[in-house]
Amino acid sequence: MRAKFCNLLNGITLIGLGAVLLDFFFTGRLDQYLHPQFRPWTLVGGIIFCVAGIIYSAAKTTAQCCVEGECVHQNANSLTRSLIAFSVLFVPLATGVALSKDSYDQHALINRGFVEDMTGLPGRTAPPASKTSTDQVIPPQALGADLDERASQPLPQDTNGAPPSQDVASNGGTDQANPAVPSPDEGSAQYLPKGADGNVALEVTDLLYAESEDSLRKMFSDKTIEVVGQYLPGSDPKEFKLVRMFIVCCAADARPLAVPVEVSAPTSVAEMGWVKVIGKATYPKKGDRVHVLFKADTVEPTDPPAEAMLY
Amino acid sequence: MSWFTFTWQNFLYSFLALAFEGLPFVLIGSLISGAIAVFVPSKIITSMLPKNGFLATLASGLLGLCFPVCECGIVPIVRRLINKGLPVSCGVTFMLASPIVNPIVAFSTFAAFRGQAPWLNMAVRLILGYLVAVSAGLVVRRLDPASILRTGAARIPTRKRLAFSVTPLPDAESIGIEASFQGKLIAAVRMACDDFIDTAIYFMIGAAVAATFNTAVDQQIILPLSLQPTLSTFAMMAMASILTLCSTSDAFIAATFVSFPIFARMAFMVFGPMFDLKLFFLYSVLFKKRFVIGLGIGLFLFIGLICSRVLIYLYAGQIL
Repeated sequence: MRAKFCNLLNGITLIGLGAVLLDFFFTGRLDQYLHPQFRPWTLVGGIIFCVAGIIYSAAKTTAQCCVEGECVHQNANSLTRSLIAFSVLFVPLATGVALSKDSYDQHALINRGFVEDMTGLPGRTAPPASKTSTDQVIPPQALGADLDERASQPLPQDTNGAPPSQDVASNGGTDQANPAVPSPDEGSAQYLPKGADGNVALEVTDLLYAESEDSLRKMFSDKTIEVVGQYLPGSDPKEFKLVRMFIVCCAADARPLAVPVEVSAPTSVAEMGWVKVIGKATYPKKGDRVHVLFKADTVEPTDPPAEAMLY
Repeated sequence: MSWFTFTWQNFLYSFLALAFEGLPFVLIGSLISGAIAVFVPSKIITSMLPKNGFLATLASGLLGLCFPVCECGIVPIVRRLINKGLPVSCGVTFMLASPIVNPIVAFSTFAAFRGQAPWLNMAVRLILGYLVAVSAGLVVRRLDPASILRTGAARIPTRKRLAFSVTPLPDAESIGIEASFQGKLIAAVRMACDDFIDTAIYFMIGAAVAATFNTAVDQQIILPLSLQPTLSTFAMMAMASILTLCSTSDAFIAATFVSFPIFARMAFMVFGPMFDLKLFFLYSVLFKKRFVIGLGIGLFLFIGLICSRVLIYLYAGQIL
């Protein structure tokens, strides 16, 4: 009797796990938790959990599964083990379904520390000390925030070992090595994505990458830019941080990317609320390198993007 | 600003993310483990080893590539194999290497370190795990089995016996499993589920600790610890032994400790599957306490020194 009850409870635990995984997958909540590459595994896992749970609870219990004294599962019919499994495996996940807000609050961001230099992100190599604008070819999709929400891949950065190339400034702004690549000035219009209002629509990552890319800074200069992110107030009422979370695998490894924003008048937006900021990107020099400072003309609440995370 | 700011919102978000990411991998590992238990006789494993003891020890470290078993399931298998004549050195090597040197762990490590030099980290983890396991096996080869094996836990072989006298495990039918394919399949699923439950409990506890650590603790506090190579390496190994994560998914946890250098996280991923709190108790089933403690201290120092003194140069220049 006890063995049957343990079987049933273990089966319920497994089916419950599967149900939670499938619920998160089909309701789309999983998008806030995992990188797209991991989401199919959750679907597969959810289905297998359900099937395995049904088999486990329905199949008759064998007297022993291994050689006497060498069995791996000596506690398989322990009621305590089944109750612990139910409490530790299923209850927390079920609680998460009900209580999780699918996002971090400002405390987690502050505890993790803000990434304000893209070279500090995992997998990014530090740019060479001296870079020129012809080191790279900028694909339009790299900046296509409005074309594809997931297209937040960084612009090509890794030019280590690349042969020295000509400086745009020294050849009149044209790329003689690769005529197909227009100069930053003449080609920027075709590369930069536009928002509904006709502004250049960028991601936080684009602004940060431009800190180490002269060509991007030239491309962004004098353009009216709109950026979407989460609002985190600063100590000065005329300053705040525009934040997006960057994840490698899942939300647990998320790191907050922040662009400092300067406004002419204090704004009243909820902490961590989504805002669209319209203004101009400036890159003042601090010490031996430049850092972005976004000077906002308007700050208005907006809906979260389809993909709240950047990858 | 306090160094510890716990909120349920942050904890649940991080905890659920870890669970959604890791649980499918724990499940896959358990399914394979269950299939091996039912469908693959131990004779196949031992027949693959050379008769020469030294070469057999080297080869034992690679058995996990063909028979992936995580650390939770490996102890009973090794005990069974030693009982049937497998040299203790080969058993120890297989026991330490298999949770790391296997395709599932290779895949999960690659997946977890996506964007953080995944090929390099996967290769380093497998090679380092193999070298450490073989080194331990070669040390054990020089010891008297009677001084290692717990009395009554296994049939103690003579010191010079290196040849195999392995007999296969009893057929599935003889231990109460139906002989039909369907019967074996159901038995495999049941074993896999039991393996999963045993393992996932430890995984969820580890995920909860990791989620708390990652969201509530001000990273500035531990920054000095993570900046000192030796200190950060041994700190991560101590953390691995406390978290008792499954090797199939511990890479996902390790990847989140981004404030620690990669060689410290590598020590976490190599030491954890070889020796943690739950393994201390599991090893004690087969080995004498004194040997288990010695093994733990030896692995702790050996892996720590390799990671903090050697790997630091391998990873030099990479921001990971």
